Order: sequence, then C-alpha cells, then structure tokens
Amino acid sequence: MQAAAMAANAILTATTPTLHPLLSPLPPNHSSFHGVSLKLPRQSFSFSLAAKKLQPPFVVAASKKAVAVLKGTSSVEGVVTLSQEDDGPTTVNVRITGLTPGPHGFHLHEFGDTTNGCMSTGAHFNPKKLTHGAPEDEIRHAGDLGNIVANADGVAEATIVDSQIPLSGPNAVIGRALVVHELEDDLGKGGHELSSTTGNAGGRLACGVVGLTPI
Amino acid sequence: MAFLRSATKTAIAASALPAAFAFSSLSPSSPNPKPENLVFLSPSSSLLTSARFGLVKNLTQPPSSLSMDTPTSNQKPISQDNGALPEILTEFMVDMKCEGCVNSVRNKLQTVNGVKNVEVDLANQVVRILGSSPVKTMTEALELTGRNARLIGQGIPEDFLVSASVAEFKGPDIFGVVRFAQVNMELARIEASFSGMSPGKHGWSINEFGDLTKGAASTGKVFNPTNQGTEQEPLGDLGTLDVDEKGDAFFSGTKQKLRVADLIGRSVVLFGTEDKSDKGLTAAVIARSAGVGENYKKICTCDGTIIWESSNNDFVASKV
Repeated sequence: MQAAAMAANAILTATTPTLHPLLSPLPPNHSSFHGVSLKLPRQSFSFSLAAKKLQPPFVVAASKKAVAVLKGTSSVEGVVTLSQEDDGPTTVNVRITGLTPGPHGFHLHEFGDTTNGCMSTGAHFNPKKLTHGAPEDEIRHAGDLGNIVANADGVAEATIVDSQIPLSGPNAVIGRALVVHELEDDLGKGGHELSSTTGNAGGRLACGVVGLTPI
Repeated sequence: MAFLRSATKTAIAASALPAAFAFSSLSPSSPNPKPENLVFLSPSSSLLTSARFGLVKNLTQPPSSLSMDTPTSNQKPISQDNGALPEILTEFMVDMKCEGCVNSVRNKLQTVNGVKNVEVDLANQVVRILGSSPVKTMTEALELTGRNARLIGQGIPEDFLVSASVAEFKGPDIFGVVRFAQVNMELARIEASFSGMSPGKHGWSINEFGDLTKGAASTGKVFNPTNQGTEQEPLGDLGTLDVDEKGDAFFSGTKQKLRVADLIGRSVVLFGTEDKSDKGLTAAVIARSAGVGENYKKICTCDGTIIWESSNNDFVASKV
C-alpha cells in the first residue's frame, strides 16, 4: 500500500510520461495506472487536479471521467460526458436538444461561476493566452471546441477528441463551464470585431459546470 | 478565537464548541486521524447530530424572528456574524463613475463591522475589501449607496492554486448560492443563501461527485477523504440548515480542514430532512470562481450584456 502510494505520487510528479520504468514489477503491456488503482480502496481516489498539490498520498490518475449537465432558460438542454485515458486526448461526447437546426458555437469558459451570467464565467478557457480559433488550429483557446451541428429535430450529437482539455492537472476542465451558443462560431475567421475573441457566436443558450463522476 | 466566543450565541453553535475547540488544538500541519477519532467518539451521539465539527455557527435566526424584508431585521442576523469570520479579500465590481462615488463607497464600507481595509480602482470600477464581514453584509452596504454591486472575486492572492469556488442552485424550485473561500491551508469560509425551500431543518453536504445526470441521486456519498473526517462525521458533512417560514435560509461560517481545491467538480446537496442517508432534494456542482484580480470582465462580448444587467439566468431563447 505504501509502495503503491509512493509510486502513484511519483507518476504525478513526473513531467514526461516515462511511467513503466517506475513500475517495473508490472507487466509492460499492462496499464500502470490500472495496476495501481486496483490495489486502492474506493474512497482513496482523488480525481481533483489540485489535490496533486495539496494531498499527494493517494492521487491516482487512471481513466478519468467527467460530466456536465447543460441547462438554460429555454428548452435547450443536454449532457456532455468527457473521458480521458492516462495523459491521452480527452473524448467529449455531446448530446444537446432543443436547438435551432444548424451549427452552434461550443466553448469551455475559464470559470464555472455563472452568478453574474456570462461575466463571471470569464473568457474562453485560454491558459496559453492565444487568440480565438478552430479546434484544429495551432492558435486557439484551449476552450475553443468549435461548432456542434443540430439536425432538423434540433438535436446536436457530436464526439470531439481534443488534447488541450485534460481532466487533471493545472489546466483541467473540471469545475469550468461548457457553453452552447445561439449562432455559429466563425472560428476566428469571420472578419467581425468579435471573431478573434469569441467567434461572434451570439448569446448563450445553455451552460453547465463540468463535474466529477464515478469511474 | 473571536469566532468561538460568538459561537456561543446560539444553542446549535454552543454544542459545536467542544468539537471545534478540540480541532483547533490539533497540530495543523500533520492531519492525523487518530486524535480526531478520539475527539469524535467522546461526545454523546445526540451531541454529534447537532454539532457539525468546525461549522462554528449558523446565522439563521429561529423562524419567528426572521423576516428578511423588513429593514429592522435586515441587519440582525448579519451583525451577529461580524467578527466571526476569518479575514479575506473580497472584490466587487461597483457602478462608480467619479471620485465622489469612490468616496461615498469607501465611507460607507468603513462603517461596516469587520471591514479592515478598502481599496478602490475607479478605472476598473473595482472595490477590494479586506475583512471578516460576510458577503451579504458588504453587498447590502454597497447597495445602500445606491449603486449596483457584483461580487467578482474572493480569496487571498498568490497563495492558493484555487482559492474560491461557488455552487449555484438554479431552480426550478430551490435557488441558492454557496461560496467557499480558502482562508489558509486548514480553514475555509462557507457562505450560503437559499430560497424556495420548505420551512424547517434541512441537512446539507458536500458530495463526492458533481454528476447531476440523475440530480442529487448521482452525486455519490458525502465527501470524505480518507485522511480526514471519520465514518460518523465525514469532512463533507455541512450539518443542518434552518429554513424560515418563507423558505429562505442563510449560512455563514467556517470549516476546518476543508480545501477549496479539493472540492472543485464535486457537489453541494440539499436534503429534505436532517437525514443525509436519504437521497437529496437537489444538488449543484462546485465550480471554479475567480480569485482576487482574476476576472474584471464587465461586458459579455458574446451578446453585449453588461455586468449590471446580468443574472445567473441571462440566457437567450432558442428560436425553435
């Protein structure tokens, strides 16, 4: 137990993913994270990114999951689930209903606080301080997830795979807000005054805070 | 220890005193479950149910004496709390346009009990207050100057990776805001206000997951990190809220060993009764909120809303 905890700690403090040498007792084709997690009691998991700093003993990164339930004042609502294996890209599954057919901007904002509406959520999550762009662009906010497209029934279903929105670490998306917008995000290329900041995607239809979920 | 003295003002808080005192006598730097267990096991179980450790006091008056709409009672539950909370920086954006406004805001705030220092940044319309006053008292004082005021940040700058968080209950029945702010490594401030609840006693807790796909039912158990809290008294247990006959409840207090950064993405759950083994009534995810100086956003660039017009419900309607 002690050794497992130390190993887990070492994994988290390592900056490069040279993980297997740290856990040589495990078979090389076996996920080191799963190997550790199986030995720990359920309560000892801590998914929180910041726990890394404050609470080292039992922080284990395994496959991580998160979920946001999006709601607004109108009929727009949806569920977004996020999952990430080790340090790989994050897979975002989106299902939002009640939309007008067509594309809608979909962004992650810095804070999950909506007590002052769109002001208290801050800007698009942008730890690298770049300008707005498309998800596939080099120059983009981490929170720029592009557009989701609603079908004729107003339902938007999408799977987004992105490497800038991890579920742990200092730039983790947990506790931030996902927002679906009224209009299409021009991905920074619309030539509008707002293109380089928000993609000119119009008002917010619904939002939700990304929360931790059982693995 | 000012907060301990004032804690004796209410019966609930008085029973919390032994536990809180025992906590404060433990070594703060090395949390060790053993002495805590001894502390927790010694009081009788009836004491345990009313005394939630470290939650030193509950603002709310007995229902008969509380009517928040009348000016006389407006200040009463709050003044009780002045000096009871640990000091923290709180930032408001205040609708000020001239030096005269700055002086009137500053003068008003300096009359508020617990306010120690006021800095005003007119260019950004930001007022930064250091002190122990509850958010509600400061907001009311600012509004008494006839100006719009919105809380935009809380915490102690540079000290913590995540210093402030907020959970919002957005109805349809129960509305409320719960704020957590880190005071130091071992202590967090908790301030909450709710409306739309049924009168009487309601348990509330921090639960381990922020998964609202099935409402409160999918939030897991009461948050209880293994190296803190106990089986009987998990760290995330926030005790009981007293809801008045209008359905409102206010809370202002502190909790030992609570680390705001560990709460991000978990949830606050409200229960129908004092029994927290029941599934909760409703839940809200604990979100990151801005620390001091982290967010001076005043205009929503997406739709042009300015902060004074904002609410937590300023969504546009989908035209389906």
